[in-house]
Amino acid sequence: MKTHAEGPVGCAYCGLPIPQPWWPWISPAPRKDGEKAYCCFGCRFAAAVTRQQGEEGAANWTLVCLGVAVLLTMNVMVFTMALWTQDFYRGEGETPGELALVLRALFRYLCLLFAFPVILLLGLPLLDNAWDHLRHGLIHTDLLLVIGVVASYLYSVISVVREDGSVYFEVGCMVLVLVTVGRWLEARGRLQTLAAIDALHRLLPALARLLRDGEEVWVPLEAVHRGDQVLILPGERIPCDGQVMQNAVTVDEQALTGESTPAIKEPGDAVCGGSLNLDGNLLITATADTGDTMLARMIELVRRGLQDKGRFERLADRVTAVFLPVVMAVAGGAAAWHGSRHGLGEGILTGLAVLLIACPCALGLATPMAVWAARGRAAMAQVLFRHGETFERLASIRAVRLDKTGTVTTGTPALAEFAAATGADRCEVLKLAGVLASSSTHCYSLTIRQFAGQETEGDGRLVEVRTVAGRGIIGRIEQSDSTGSGKRAFLGSPRLMTEAELSWPTSLLAVADGARASGQPLTCIGWEGAVRGVFVFCEQLRPEAAQAIAQLQEQGLDVAILTGDSTAPASVMGRELGVPVVADLLPDGKVAALAEARRRLGLVAMVGDGLNDAPALAASDVGIALGCGADVSRDSASVCLLGNDLRRLPWAIDLARRTVRIVRQNLFWAFIYNVAGIAFACTGRLNPVLAALAMVLSSLLVVTNSLRLGGPADVRSEGARAQSVPLPEGS
Amino acid sequence: MDWFLIFVGGFLGSSHCIGMCGGFALALGTTGTTWAANVVRQICYSLGRVFTYSTAGAAAGYGGWRLMTELRSIVNLQAGLSITAGVLLVVQGLAAAGFGRGLMKAHSGPCLGSRFFAAWLRAARWHSVFLGGMVNGLLPCGLVYAYLALAGSSGDMLHGLAVMALFGLGTMPVMVLVGSGGSVLSWTFQRHLLRVAGWCVVVTGLITILRGVGFLPGMVAGAGTECPLCQ
Repeated sequence: MKTHAEGPVGCAYCGLPIPQPWWPWISPAPRKDGEKAYCCFGCRFAAAVTRQQGEEGAANWTLVCLGVAVLLTMNVMVFTMALWTQDFYRGEGETPGELALVLRALFRYLCLLFAFPVILLLGLPLLDNAWDHLRHGLIHTDLLLVIGVVASYLYSVISVVREDGSVYFEVGCMVLVLVTVGRWLEARGRLQTLAAIDALHRLLPALARLLRDGEEVWVPLEAVHRGDQVLILPGERIPCDGQVMQNAVTVDEQALTGESTPAIKEPGDAVCGGSLNLDGNLLITATADTGDTMLARMIELVRRGLQDKGRFERLADRVTAVFLPVVMAVAGGAAAWHGSRHGLGEGILTGLAVLLIACPCALGLATPMAVWAARGRAAMAQVLFRHGETFERLASIRAVRLDKTGTVTTGTPALAEFAAATGADRCEVLKLAGVLASSSTHCYSLTIRQFAGQETEGDGRLVEVRTVAGRGIIGRIEQSDSTGSGKRAFLGSPRLMTEAELSWPTSLLAVADGARASGQPLTCIGWEGAVRGVFVFCEQLRPEAAQAIAQLQEQGLDVAILTGDSTAPASVMGRELGVPVVADLLPDGKVAALAEARRRLGLVAMVGDGLNDAPALAASDVGIALGCGADVSRDSASVCLLGNDLRRLPWAIDLARRTVRIVRQNLFWAFIYNVAGIAFACTGRLNPVLAALAMVLSSLLVVTNSLRLGGPADVRSEGARAQSVPLPEGS
Repeated sequence: MDWFLIFVGGFLGSSHCIGMCGGFALALGTTGTTWAANVVRQICYSLGRVFTYSTAGAAAGYGGWRLMTELRSIVNLQAGLSITAGVLLVVQGLAAAGFGRGLMKAHSGPCLGSRFFAAWLRAARWHSVFLGGMVNGLLPCGLVYAYLALAGSSGDMLHGLAVMALFGLGTMPVMVLVGSGGSVLSWTFQRHLLRVAGWCVVVTGLITILRGVGFLPGMVAGAGTECPLCQ
């Protein structure tokens, strides 16, 4: 996975931020080139295992170390249990026999012997990690753990040699095994939160088929540069952004835009890396280097966003920074107190137990784990959160304001009414309009063409076609069934009709006036001195808009539509959707409306297409841009919905709410657990082995709780709502 | 008699092991170059499991002993432990024999955490395989737990260790055979074998229960010896 050289660098294994020095005056030692940085011991260990698995024929040294340590620890445990049974026999006042004494000495020496390699095998990597952190300005609890373990071992060795006193070999061994296995599991769980982002990355093929001097050459993806010609066969994924050179093909862009209908790409159209070529050979010219494709930018945006911290994370960081020195002091104090009262051995064990139970893994993991899992999940559903903090904000919004054009409505207009002049042949008017419209790609032309296609087949031939900018189309039509030369026909705005000196029949004039009154755009067609037909358009609601708005209202949000259009058509739409509409707003009027809503209700989210409503998006508390598609770096929005599906909006709000809920649960649990655990450990009644086990369980609980976000939406609380959003496969 | 039954329970019960963990044994075989090397790997793997079982048996025995020493005030603790272990064995045996499948879900689903062990099992060296078997021995398994309860009810570390070692050794032959020779036994035959094994486990459980009952005061001393099976 690529990370840019500049900016914060994540852990080489899991990608989470590497802890920064606590104190600003410590300047961390610079890392050498190629030296990998890890955020914790678990990642270091997991990376070692993965690296060796990847190398063919490697000895798998790390795993063998762990396995041998487990084997020896099990032996130590058995010998220790045997020792304990003897202790109990003696405790009852019976004098142990000769054999029992010999066995006791033997078992103690065996424990010493078997525990030594465990300390070396697992203690050294832990110490290595602690040392690496120390060099970079961080005192890690691992260092204290190793010191505690070694101290308990040395104390036991002295007891064995003096043939007096207790031995605690099993404590050191068990603690090391549990810490290693626990951290490893934790790192693997953390990696899993990245699975969603990795899934995005996997959309790009590893190799690209270049066309160089007419020959096909396979090159690694990194070697594709701007201007290269790339050939993509059906069923292959497009390796880079590009422009279609040859052939029209159907392309599935669902992974990038969420659009389930495949798009037809013709020569000159742009295609995005990562989309799937469904049919036909496709030749494209790369328009960006591989590292700069839209997909790469998208992944980079998500990954980079992982490095910045939200409010909760900063809180956890602050607590951790104070927490560790306090814990060290408490551990030292408890060790000294118990040591002075019950002997050195007990003191060491108590200190170790405090350190183990207080290891702030769970506290540090609480927020990033949940936010990471949620971001990955959102990215899978084509929702990009620009900052981790956005989750917190989105979860606490009270009102949603939607832009009308392009957000609640589709960009393409629908035909509201078609009127032919009295006396004109309706079919003929439509046929001519269809033929004329087919020469233009204007959105009204598309709609007319579709409508005409439904009514009749345009079989005319168009000659001398001319487009008048901002007015319409003029052309001469030769019809196969008509006699003589064709008519000169005009299709366009009423202004074009006036300029062409066409007269308006009264029936059509009424239609045009009515449309003008309600603010609906119209297009006219005319020939031979008269206007023959009028098309009245209306904005088309997105099919899912009503459902999405209903869901938002169900979520307890105050929903309203803001528009610059005139009041009449806007209020019709408002009645249809069941939401208030504020019309006649200039861009700064939208900003004022947002400020008003914020004052009255609380945090406000603004939803728009991010283009003409950028000021409103920027002025809102959470700006949500719809249909970002190819432009993920649209800056005014803090949430980008890549596709056009409005239902992603309630889904995203729901995800944000669940994320914040899980963050709170995690923080609460980690904090309560730590405080209660430390208090108990200070009493000296907590065996370090149990403390280590409890620490592992606590971390795993936080990781597992967070991973719930990565899974499918919680059906109980979301009901059919969340399920109604079609999500891509593998999510 | 019951030592023999423990071994037989393990031996016949290994058809259960094949169902649950046979995949691991087969995965081992894929790395082995020759037949002999494969058999060595299989034995190492199984010895790893036996090692874990024995350690767990010792721990269970220690736990039982500790319980009996600490809670001396509670009368008939050993009887209770014995009866509990016996009931567990009977339930597990009946489940293996095909009864109460709705109650016990232990027989459905593949082994947990298989990806975790794959790293060890794929490794070429025999010691990795041994370690893999050792960790494999920690997998949750109803049959193992039932026998662990038996080991615990003995209240003696060495006895517990011996019970589990014997059980583990009993599972070895069939597992090694399957791992090195592929599917020697047909699926239906395995099911029949499992049924017989189930009844063996049930008998072991019944003997344990009877022995536990024998500990109860008021019963004729040596009630266990009156059991026709124990003679």
